[in-house]
Amino acid sequence: MNRGLDFWRAISIAKKEIRHILRDPFTLTMAVGMPVLLVTFFGFIINFDVQDIALSVINRDHTRASRDVVDVFTSSNYFNVKNNTNPGNPFQPVDAEKVKAVLVIEKGFAKEWREHGAASVQVAIDGADNQAAGIIGNYLAGIRKAVQEKLSGQEMKPPVELRTRFLFNEELNSRWFVVPGLAVVVIGILSILLTALTVAREWENGSMELLLSTPVRPLEIIIGKLLPYTVLGLAGVTFVYVAARLAFGVPFRGSHLLFGLACLLFLGTALAQGLVISVVTRQQQLAMQMANITGMLPSFMLSGFIFPIESMPVVFQYLTFLLAPRWLMIISRSEFLKGSTFLDLALPLGMLALIMTLLLTIALKKFKKDLEP
Amino acid sequence: MNATVRGFIKKEMAQAVRDPRMRIMLFVMPVIQMTLFGLALSNEIKNVKLLVVGQPGDHMMWKVAEHCFASGWFVPVSVSNLDPFEVLQSGKADAVLIAPEEGLGSSVGRGAGRLQLLVDATNAVRARGVETYIQAILASMPELGARGPTGGFSIQTRVLYNPSMRTPVFLVPGVMCLILCLLTIVLTSMSIAREREAGTLETLIAAPVKKWEIILGKTIPYVILGLADVPLVLGVAVFLFKVPMKGSLLEIALASIVFVCTAVSTGTLISTFARNQQQAMMGGFLFMFPAIQLSGVMFPLDNIPAAIAWVPYLNPLRYFVVLLRNIMLKGGEPTVVWSNLAAMAALGAAMVFISFKRFHRTLN
Repeated sequence: MNRGLDFWRAISIAKKEIRHILRDPFTLTMAVGMPVLLVTFFGFIINFDVQDIALSVINRDHTRASRDVVDVFTSSNYFNVKNNTNPGNPFQPVDAEKVKAVLVIEKGFAKEWREHGAASVQVAIDGADNQAAGIIGNYLAGIRKAVQEKLSGQEMKPPVELRTRFLFNEELNSRWFVVPGLAVVVIGILSILLTALTVAREWENGSMELLLSTPVRPLEIIIGKLLPYTVLGLAGVTFVYVAARLAFGVPFRGSHLLFGLACLLFLGTALAQGLVISVVTRQQQLAMQMANITGMLPSFMLSGFIFPIESMPVVFQYLTFLLAPRWLMIISRSEFLKGSTFLDLALPLGMLALIMTLLLTIALKKFKKDLEP
Repeated sequence: MNATVRGFIKKEMAQAVRDPRMRIMLFVMPVIQMTLFGLALSNEIKNVKLLVVGQPGDHMMWKVAEHCFASGWFVPVSVSNLDPFEVLQSGKADAVLIAPEEGLGSSVGRGAGRLQLLVDATNAVRARGVETYIQAILASMPELGARGPTGGFSIQTRVLYNPSMRTPVFLVPGVMCLILCLLTIVLTSMSIAREREAGTLETLIAAPVKKWEIILGKTIPYVILGLADVPLVLGVAVFLFKVPMKGSLLEIALASIVFVCTAVSTGTLISTFARNQQQAMMGGFLFMFPAIQLSGVMFPLDNIPAAIAWVPYLNPLRYFVVLLRNIMLKGGEPTVVWSNLAAMAALGAAMVFISFKRFHRTLN
């Protein structure tokens, strides 16, 4: 009996899997069409440029100076000023989710300014939405300067002029930041889900036992099962790439070869993870639950897609080393926007390869163990 | 409730919790996830790798650097290569602060102080934050002739409900909602799809039970399981992360019941479209991915384009996130609570109606 790896046997398994995929047009459309659809749709929607923040104004000092302050807020583009009709409880509109911030100008503001050349107003921000609260806080610095200039009638020159250049994304277009990340999340999740179910299904309806009683070896089964899904995944990646370039005008400054290699490695890890899940669970419902918990939520939350890894406590930063999406996130963003070289990305690439080998080994071990009585 | 439905519920519950791994998934994982995300995630901008470039004798510049690193927002990097562009491209630094050639000290002395800041704007949100930080630091240094916070016009900022801007307070109610949604939708849709795949659903139809008994028997267990997780995740939120619980538990319970019922009927609806579990899973994904993105947990929803601004109104997750945050953090403002509850209930009722109708038809 041939104990070596027979590539043709792997191919026949792949062929069977392809037939299975082709027979189910729903899954095929999902696997290839979904990534493009999701990336395009959410690329348009996700927007971190917070504008038109609803601001409730309570002006208890009806003077020109206080109206000037309100004018600056109104004309800033950042705020959508609403007059408060219920001055009894100034924060009521925030409770009612009608506004995100409240501006209170107390009586005597103008007098204070005239007599001391110094006066203050109060802004209360809704802290229930942390993200928006941080952004509003940033805007207030600019507002303060504008009010100062308007009230004193002279340009305020800071002692040190800061000239900032934003490299790789001069206009701070948040889509350029979201789309390459979104691509990673979508493709990663889909690949894990697809493979997790395909093998679990074979266990569930008993056809895996049948397969194992044939001379096909575990490695051949694994390769045969993963190959078609790798091709599907690569097709998904290509479509997403085209969507990113055409629909969003995201530049691509790196090497396509490098990006392709990274995607291939990443697909390998995602598929291998799905495989491990399905071998361990052998039941689709459980496999799906595991895939969601180990694939979907970490990809959203711990990959650096939106919540920066640098801001996590150190222990968790190391924990994310085990997550493949984290590494492709770095590669994808640098390849699209920065044009980083192979050397710059050696660590992420190496980690992807390592994670893939690790997961494949686990899958193979688990498979083999099941063979022995 | 009649004996048939009770029997169904018993069987379904036994099946769900028989597998010890499933028990872990149901009751342990939500707690671990809540803890993990609550501890790890923060949308603060910190640990920005900053490279300061200046002459060794430029004391003013090094004073600025000192202030930057003392602020806690920046960490120093040491590189051999001082070409700012390459340092940023290779990711060794996130920002480079460059003194003018004559030195910051002498340029300030001439009254024309200037500094150059190069920021890696791959992450646009972070880049803007970095600029704001540096500006704030420069404005707070009396050595540079800054006027400081006193004098002139000032804005006193107060952050309501979350004065120390802790991320868990904002995030944990959202994560709670995600976990509950994942559990219920996936479990329900796959459990029904499994019966269809295995052919046992047909056996059931042939058996002398009424259609609505099958429907109730297949869905009620998942409502119960979903609701059983509510106190668990709520406990982690309140006791571990000290998320305030200002509103009434009754309101939370009411919101949870409506939400879980909506989620379970969504799962049922998905299963009626699926011939097997793989399709049910894909359908679940098709619903959950947009629902999670449009729930207001990941990014603010105030700015989505007007053309699709109505989409989040069809999202039960969004109502639940608003309700949880409003009730827990703000004590539950009556109009917000009741309008969101009513909207979610209407959505849920529509879901229940459609899914039961479709389920009923597919049973025929």
